[in-house]
Amino acid sequence: MEHVITGFKTIAPSIPYIINGIWVTLGIALGAAIIGFVLGILLSLCKIGNIKLLSGIARAYTSIFRGTPLIMQLALAYFAIPQLIGLNDVNPTTCAIVTFGLNSGAYMSEIIRSGINAVDKGQFEAASALGVGYWPMMKDIILPQAIKNILPAMMNEFITLTKDSAIVSTIAVTDMMRRSQIVSAEYYLYFPPMFVAFIMYYIVVLILTAVGGRIERRLSRSDQS
Amino acid sequence: MIKAEHVYKDFGSTKVLKDVSLDINKGEVVVIIGPSGSGKSTFLRCINLLEPPTKGSVLIDDQDLVSLKQKQVTKVREKVGMVFQHFHLFPHKTVLDNLIYAPMKVKKLSKDEAVKRAEALLEKVGLLDKKNQYPNKLSGGQKQRVAIARALAMEPEYMLFDEPTSALDPEMVKEVLDVIQSLAESGMTMVIVTHEMGFAKQVANKVVFMDDGRILESNTPEAFFSNPKTDRAKDFLKKIL
Repeated sequence: MEHVITGFKTIAPSIPYIINGIWVTLGIALGAAIIGFVLGILLSLCKIGNIKLLSGIARAYTSIFRGTPLIMQLALAYFAIPQLIGLNDVNPTTCAIVTFGLNSGAYMSEIIRSGINAVDKGQFEAASALGVGYWPMMKDIILPQAIKNILPAMMNEFITLTKDSAIVSTIAVTDMMRRSQIVSAEYYLYFPPMFVAFIMYYIVVLILTAVGGRIERRLSRSDQS
Repeated sequence: MIKAEHVYKDFGSTKVLKDVSLDINKGEVVVIIGPSGSGKSTFLRCINLLEPPTKGSVLIDDQDLVSLKQKQVTKVREKVGMVFQHFHLFPHKTVLDNLIYAPMKVKKLSKDEAVKRAEALLEKVGLLDKKNQYPNKLSGGQKQRVAIARALAMEPEYMLFDEPTSALDPEMVKEVLDVIQSLAESGMTMVIVTHEMGFAKQVANKVVFMDDGRILESNTPEAFFSNPKTDRAKDFLKKIL
């Protein structure tokens, strides 16, 4: 037991460095979530639309991104594709955000699609009968209701992104995971730095879950259906 | 005027409408009655192309909707208001926002104009005090009156009513029928699908009896109710009156 405590004491000066890695982690998750959300809306509209080509593309996109490991996609985006097209310095953080965003878009599109499908068909009919066109109807009538239905699922997606972002450590982004590894190597002490990062991930996920629960309760209180 | 000519509608292998033709003149109130599953609601929905007919044509002021592109259909729909059995108010918008949304978005009215028009309509249906409420705070009868006001806010030339009182508690039916009645008296051209026979008698210029996807009778309410010609109509009236 004592050597564990000594271990924590030894790495103490590096603990803030590890913990501050959470901002990198959250930054990547947030950036990816925004890309994923916008892409998810576009893909879901393609999927439910009548244009066969677009819905086919959206379906294939989703299938590919959900059908391969995220770490594989990241490696492809960071190592393989830049070499193929002769790009030299790719910023790993940017690359991570874009890859995670593209990946998240696939999952998000399925969530949003189910949200749109859950909106009462009468809402489409009422809007159409008033002479409202397709796009304003989607933007003003359908999506606000759909997104409200799926907010809990989207919060889960964000939490998943936060956790999965740990794999950006494999492309040398100094997120919290990577920082715990760096500190481990520096002191040749694995348990203390990794435990710090481990606990920190869990605390952040608990906070995000609590925030999600609050939003959900507030929405159900002012439930306007 | 609205002119439906030889309208057929299939859902898969089910033939719901089989050669339905009907003229609705300006200022006329046409009430469509008939047993459940006779195709009345489907026919009503074919008039503004919520259900595109499988065959046949629907002319509104001499424009054949079936041949139009989606954008043009949307344009024609501005002239045709519709009221649904289950209201379909926009739940995330207040009563007032429900009324001003389409006039602002589609007719490009200024907010002031749209609000003025909406408030006048809410006054008319007796719900001005509810303008800032969300639909879930309203009773069924109130919801339906708001839905009627919402349709009227587009200043339509025609109104379609799809069983407007079928989802209401009995004590709320009258308040909605009163609104529709006063609308009829103001000269609005209307097509009403309903099971309220007393109301049909009172408000209709023409009663249309449908069964099994066809129009079997089309007559004045006096003639239809006192002297139905077909056995099917006699049987129907016997069961419900």
